[in-house]
Amino acid sequence: MLTRIWLTYKQHRFETIAIAVVCLGVAVAAFIEAWRLNSLNVPWHCFQTWQGGGYNGGPIPDAAQLRCNELVQSYQNLQQSTDVSIVRMLLIFVPLIAGIILGAPLVAREIEQGTAPLSWSLSGSRRRWLLGKILAGLLLIVPLMLALGLASDVLQGAMSPHLHTHAAFENYAGRGVIVVFWALAAYAGTLALGTILGRTMPAVVLALVICFFVRTTWEPGMNHFVLTPLATKQADQVSMSNYYSGMVDMSLYQKVYLDGKEISNDEANAWYMQHQGPVVETTPDPAGSMPPAATASDGSGLIVAQPPAIPPSEFPQYVTFGIPGSMYWQVVGFESGVLLLGALLCSAIAFVWVDRRRPY
Amino acid sequence: MALDAGASTITAATAATAATAATAALAAHGLSKRFKKKVALDAVDLIVPSGSVTALVGPNGAGKTTLIRVCMAFERPNSGCVEVDGVDPWKHRTDALRRVGYVPQTPAVYRGLSVEDHLAMARSLHPVFDADHARRRLDQLGIPLDQRADTLSGGQAAQLGLAIALGTRAKILLLDEPLANLDPLARREFIQVLLDAVRSEGSTALLSSHIVTDVEDACDRLVILGGGKVRLDCPLEEARHTHRLTEADSPPPGATAVGSFLGKGGQKVMMLWRLDPAAAAAVVGTSGAGSEPASLEDVVLGYLAAGRGTAGLQLN
Repeated sequence: MLTRIWLTYKQHRFETIAIAVVCLGVAVAAFIEAWRLNSLNVPWHCFQTWQGGGYNGGPIPDAAQLRCNELVQSYQNLQQSTDVSIVRMLLIFVPLIAGIILGAPLVAREIEQGTAPLSWSLSGSRRRWLLGKILAGLLLIVPLMLALGLASDVLQGAMSPHLHTHAAFENYAGRGVIVVFWALAAYAGTLALGTILGRTMPAVVLALVICFFVRTTWEPGMNHFVLTPLATKQADQVSMSNYYSGMVDMSLYQKVYLDGKEISNDEANAWYMQHQGPVVETTPDPAGSMPPAATASDGSGLIVAQPPAIPPSEFPQYVTFGIPGSMYWQVVGFESGVLLLGALLCSAIAFVWVDRRRPY
Repeated sequence: MALDAGASTITAATAATAATAATAALAAHGLSKRFKKKVALDAVDLIVPSGSVTALVGPNGAGKTTLIRVCMAFERPNSGCVEVDGVDPWKHRTDALRRVGYVPQTPAVYRGLSVEDHLAMARSLHPVFDADHARRRLDQLGIPLDQRADTLSGGQAAQLGLAIALGTRAKILLLDEPLANLDPLARREFIQVLLDAVRSEGSTALLSSHIVTDVEDACDRLVILGGGKVRLDCPLEEARHTHRLTEADSPPPGATAVGSFLGKGGQKVMMLWRLDPAAAAAVVGTSGAGSEPASLEDVVLGYLAAGRGTAGLQLN
C-alpha cells in the first residue's frame, strides 16, 4: 500500500507539490501576519479606552492615552491591510481549492489518459484500487489542513485579542479543525464528480461552482435550518460580559415581545406608529452621543421621539436568541460531522461508480 | 449465383465439438453487446482452447475490442456470458482478472513514471505479480528501467505492456491489437517475445488484429469476426487447407461458396470456397483446375465479404 501511495504522489506530482507549497505558504503567511499583529503589544485597556474618532470636545488625552490611540490605530491599520485581507481570503478558499485540485484527477485522469484499463486489469478489485488513491490524498490533505486550521485560529486570535478562539463564533466556519472537513468534503465531492464524468477539467469547474455555492450558503443555511433548535435566549448584559471575557455568542434570530406575548416586527412597528404618531425626522446629535432613553431608531436612520408617558419597560422588547460561545466545540463538532458525512457520501458514490463504469 | 453467407459461416457449434468446455480457456455463449442501436456483438459463441494462440481477426468495428473488453469486465453484455477459465468476469471480476493478463490497444503508460515505477505499481496492485520476471524481459530487450515510460518508443511501450501482462503469470493473455501502432521490426519482436512466453509458460493467448499477416506466423487458431458475428473459428492449418480461391464461379469439387472480393490490384473478382475435409486433403497444396490455395488473407477477405453481403461483388 505504501508503494501505491508513493506512486500516486509521483503520478500527481504537480498537484501534490502545488498544494503542499500553497497550503504551507498560506499557513506561514497567516502565522507571520499574526506575529506582526501580536508584536504591536497593544494593551487590552487601550482597546477599551481608544478614542479613534477624535476628542469630541472631551478632555484632552494624556500622553498614555495618546500612545494607546497610536497603538490601536497601527493595529487597526495592519488588521485592515490588504495583505491580511488576502491571507484571510486564502484561508477560506485554499482548503476548498486544495480538495478540488487533488480530488478531480485521481480517477478522471486515469480514464482520460487511458491508464485505467491497465490498473483495473491488474487490481481486479477497483474499490481497493480507489481506496489506495483516496488514502494517498487523505495523507496529504489532513496534515496540511490541520496546519491551515491552526494558522487561521492563530490569526483570528491575533485579530481579536480579547477572544478565546475556542469559545467564540467569530469566523468559526473558516478556521480551526473545521477547515480539515471543508477540504475533505471538497476532495471527496470532486473525486465523485471526476469518477462520474471521467474528465478532469469539467469536474474541477463543476466542483468550483458547487463549492462556492455551498460555502456561501453554509452559514445562513446552518443557522436557519440546523442550529436554530439549539438557540437560547441571550440577555444583552450577559452577552456583553461574555464578549469582554473572550466568549462571543452566535446570534441567530430576534423575537419581539409586547406584554409578555410574541409579536411580529410589523406589529411592533404598528405599535410605535400608534403610540408616537407620525415619524419626525430629526438631526442626529452632532456629538455622536446616544439618543435619549425615550427615543428609538426605526432602523432607517430616522430618530423618532417617544411619548414620555410610556415607560421604556412597556415598549416592545427585542430579545435575541443564539448559541453561547461555551458551545463552540459542540457546534464545530456538529458542523464538522455534517461535512464529514457529505465526504463519506461522496466517497461512497465514487466507490459504487468506479465499480460500474467503463475505464474509458 | 447469390451467396449464402449464413451457410458459409462456421459457428462455434463446430468449434465446440473440437474443444470441450473442460479445455476451454475462454468461452463465450450467446454473447451480445449493443451500444445504443449499434450491435457490436451478436450472439457470439466462441471457445478458445487452453494452450492455443488464437488470432481474433476482423476489420475495424467488427467487435474484437468489445469481445476482449467483455472478457475484462470493462463492458457488461446485454445477453449471454463469457467465461474466463470457467469464471464469469462480470459476476466474479477479481477472481476472473487474476487469471488474465491484458495488453490494451494503445500502450497505456503513466506520464512521469519510470519503467521501474510501472513494475512497482503492477506489483502493488497484483498479488502474484513477478516483477523480476518482467524486469528480466525488459532487460533482454534493452529497455532501461529508469527511463520515463512516456519517452519510450511505441515498440518499447508495447513491450512494457506485454512485460507487465506476462509478469502477472496469468493463464490467459488477452491482447487487443497490440501490433496496430508498431513498425514491422517492433511487431516481429513483440510476436517473438509473446510466443516465447506462451511456449515456456504454457499459457493461452487471444491476439486481436485487423491485419492477418501480423498474426499468421504466431497463431495456431483463427477466429474471424465480422459485423459482430463469428464468421470462422477453426485451427489455422485447417483454415489454410480447406479454402480455395477461383476467379470464376465454378466451384471446386465438394466446395461451398464463402464470399467474393476484389483480388489484388482490384482487377479481378475472386471467389473463396470452403472444401469439405476429404476434398481438401486431395487438393492440398496444389494449383490447377481453375482453383488455387487461398492465403489466410484471402480466407479472411472471403468471410468478411460474405458477412457484408458482398455489395457490388456478387458473381453473375
